[in-house]
Amino acid sequence: MKPIILQGHERSITKIVYNREGDLLFSSAKDKTINVWFSLNGERLGTFDGHNGAVWGIDVDWQTTKLVSGGADNTIRLWDCLTGVELGCLSTQSAVRTSKFSYSGTSIAYSTDAALKQNCEIFLGDVRGDNLRNPYMTLPVRDSKVTALLWGEVDELLIAGFENGEISQWDLRMAKEVNNICEHNNSINDMQTSKDGTLFVTASKDNTAKLFDIDTLECLKCYKTERPVNSAALSPVYEHVVLGGGQEARDVTTTSTRAGKFDARFFHLIFEEEFGRVKGHFGPINSLAFHPDGKSFSSGGEDGFVRVHTFDQSYLDYRFDVGS
Amino acid sequence: MAKKDKAAQQEKKNEANENEEPNFSDEEGFVDRISDQDLLGDILAERPKETDGVESIIVVDKGPRVEPEKLNKFKSVINSFFSEPGQIVSAYYPVGEDGKTKGYFFLEYASPTIAQNAVSIYNNAPLDKNYTFAVNPFTDFKKYEEIPAWEPPTPEPYKPLPNLQYWLLDPDAFDQYIVRNDMNLVQVWHNTLPQPQVICEKEGWTETYVQWSPLGTYLVTFHKLGVILWGGPEWERIMRFHHPGAQFVDFSPCEQYMVTYSPQTENVNKKLIIFDIRSGAEMRSFSLEMPAIWPIFRWSKDDKYFARITRNLLSIYETPSFGLLDKKSINVSDIKDFSWSPTDNILAYWVAESKDGPARVVLMEVPSRKELRTNNVFNVADCKIHWQKSGDYLCVKVDRYSKIKKEKNDIKYSKMYYNLEIFHMREKLIPVDSIEIKEQIHAFAWEPVGSKFAIVHGEPKNVTVSFYNVKTKQDPVCLKKFEKRTCSHLFWSPHGQFIVLAQLLADSGALEFVDTNDFASMNTTEHFNASEVEWDPTGRYIFSGVPQWKSKIDTGYWIWSFQGKILKRYNTTSFVQFAWRPRPPTLLSPEQLKDIKKNLKKYTSEFEQKDRTRMTKASKELIEARCKLMDEFKKSITKRMQRWKDKKKRRLELRNHVDTDDLEGADAGSVEEESIEFLIKVEEIPVE
Repeated sequence: MKPIILQGHERSITKIVYNREGDLLFSSAKDKTINVWFSLNGERLGTFDGHNGAVWGIDVDWQTTKLVSGGADNTIRLWDCLTGVELGCLSTQSAVRTSKFSYSGTSIAYSTDAALKQNCEIFLGDVRGDNLRNPYMTLPVRDSKVTALLWGEVDELLIAGFENGEISQWDLRMAKEVNNICEHNNSINDMQTSKDGTLFVTASKDNTAKLFDIDTLECLKCYKTERPVNSAALSPVYEHVVLGGGQEARDVTTTSTRAGKFDARFFHLIFEEEFGRVKGHFGPINSLAFHPDGKSFSSGGEDGFVRVHTFDQSYLDYRFDVGS
Repeated sequence: MAKKDKAAQQEKKNEANENEEPNFSDEEGFVDRISDQDLLGDILAERPKETDGVESIIVVDKGPRVEPEKLNKFKSVINSFFSEPGQIVSAYYPVGEDGKTKGYFFLEYASPTIAQNAVSIYNNAPLDKNYTFAVNPFTDFKKYEEIPAWEPPTPEPYKPLPNLQYWLLDPDAFDQYIVRNDMNLVQVWHNTLPQPQVICEKEGWTETYVQWSPLGTYLVTFHKLGVILWGGPEWERIMRFHHPGAQFVDFSPCEQYMVTYSPQTENVNKKLIIFDIRSGAEMRSFSLEMPAIWPIFRWSKDDKYFARITRNLLSIYETPSFGLLDKKSINVSDIKDFSWSPTDNILAYWVAESKDGPARVVLMEVPSRKELRTNNVFNVADCKIHWQKSGDYLCVKVDRYSKIKKEKNDIKYSKMYYNLEIFHMREKLIPVDSIEIKEQIHAFAWEPVGSKFAIVHGEPKNVTVSFYNVKTKQDPVCLKKFEKRTCSHLFWSPHGQFIVLAQLLADSGALEFVDTNDFASMNTTEHFNASEVEWDPTGRYIFSGVPQWKSKIDTGYWIWSFQGKILKRYNTTSFVQFAWRPRPPTLLSPEQLKDIKKNLKKYTSEFEQKDRTRMTKASKELIEARCKLMDEFKKSITKRMQRWKDKKKRRLELRNHVDTDDLEGADAGSVEEESIEFLIKVEEIPVE
């Protein structure tokens, strides 16, 4: 089916995220703006204006009341989803790379980049009462930089993926790092949970995506490609995982889109077999998201476009042959 | 010091005077029972012998016989002639009964090293135009006296060779290929269905690269000290060939002989060595004075002759004598290139234009040296000789110019056009057809069997691929033109009919698979950055590859069916070399082949049945593997789901007791309806 192309950004898309119901799609880009769209027809509902630099991470709470965003302008901001009004803004010492709502939507976690004399840090903030107060907890980060962040199932765990490929897990009740693994050997660009929150998939620059148990951090599956993976998302209804990425923009020496491999690639979650590709972007895919009903998915690319793809019936009917 | 010594001597004298010296003389009648040998054997052993110093003596022979009156003058001549390495200590000139010297004489130098030098300097040195000295060390007498009696060598026990043709006995005729990676891990694969398998794997099997012999019997590996041939079902070492620094190997077509080339060897006379493969014996070695195009030696189809060209010479050698045919090379001034017919002992060569005449293409029969056909061509910049594999036709691609400009040593051609001169080898007097092509020709390829050929011509980015058919007593007909293609190379199937048009330049890798029976394009596809393409020897599969030394990304090799269907992608970062194992020509007679083609339907159904069985088995295996994975995953899921269920209460607490576990959960009723507009059509109505 013909995808809907959302042309609301002037620079590379950094993150796209659906709200829980999936009727809205939020997108952030390096052009300082955050857009919100109707996922069904691609109509733009509005913008969240205020950032003075690239917006790196956005997230929406489960009730679609608040939006959190962090950016290269060294701020973390909280927005009212309905009106687009900025509810709060906090300055940080360096660029905010990731920001995430907890399961309950009462807390946010965000991480800042390492900069001159400034170490990478993870902050936890309370967002009850519709404003942004100073963080109540700071987790120091050792040598590497946080590049992806996740909340565990019930507001108790925090999981961070690092630039060096490591993954760390904190128990927030004790504010203590409880687990650390190194399954990837290059930057972890994205981490997304399964619908029930028990599994998560990583996307790494080492050309693979891997599936982990969120509690034990046990690596369950590995999906291999030939290009850095920037984002990976798990289907909420099928045992499918979609991977997006491609040659890094600065490494693209050729003009052929086929050479960069900018396709969204579908793998079977358990068999690790690739079964389909969706072409379209003419630059690497930076962010991928499944619609919560699993009947469509969206991708945001380095080319500045967001593409909303509704699956054909043949995809929904497709079953892997596992005998009878 | 001196004073002290004197004092010491004085003292000694005094002592001697005080104690009178005892008498050491033997008593009368004393018989010494101890021999000198026992007493001072070690000292006696070092006693100089008569033969001591013979190492310093040389024997000079083949000199003149000199009369006594001239002897003195002769001696002084010899003295000065031979004194370059060192002073002559003594000389002896034996004289015969007639008073003349005997023609040989002995010279002694101060040391054996000087004598050795003298031998190497003066052996075969001419005194004047009548006499050339033969110089040997004196010790040669002893050396040749002591040659042990010849013993007939004991026959080596017979060691049967492994079956070198074993791979041809594969019931399904699956082919083999080798794959090498950058660490010189060499793998031999068996191209079995549905998945190829590795049958042999050796790390560091070679030091540079590997190569198959032309009939596929041997695999060549390269090492510091030479090359090694491997073969047989166990990949045993069949034969070693010593040639330090050998970098290139070329085989004679019947695999009787092998030429190795070591460009950097210090031994200039052994740059090129020809070996007999089965015995391992070196047959002849050659030096190489000027750079040449590899293979330097080119072999006739039956291994009987091999030839090379040097500046103005065409040298044809015979086997097994390895001497020049008729003991002399053929003088062909300005010979540029030559090539043997693949099926007959006919050699084609071309000669560049000179002041005396036009460029010529000559067909010469060997060994008679009869010129079967000479074709003169004018305004020639370059020629390329293309034999059809069945030897039925020869095409010489002639690059011709309209204008020539000479600048110092550079010659600049302009307004180029191209001729294809086609020789009909099987017809009487070898008639020649000529086709003129105005555009630049990038590639030419004969269909290996049949009478078709294909050329790529035109602007490099937008070429035309033309197919021609050659007919008896008719001009060649253009069968088909594929216009606006990206194509730089042509690859015919070894059995003809199918051809792959490939663009193997950087940033491309376009592949088009064409059936030339109806000129249908079966598939147009791409292996990005591919620079290598090779058909398997049966014409069923094609390999395309991106070696690591050509490209940093997407290295690996893919295997396609002849219809252009991708069968397998091996994306390995370390891939460097791929080569199909060649097959010898079929042993079936033309009648048998015809018979098979007639009954193809019968065989097809058999093979299809076999393929189906294999596919069923493979899909069964795949399904089993999937089932296993699924079961394992489900097991791990149960634990997780339990944990998840346990946390249900906590989840509800966190979200104000709204069940969000399902999308259509408890709060489904509270969803607000929103109306959304869809753009269905855009209509433009011009305002009047």
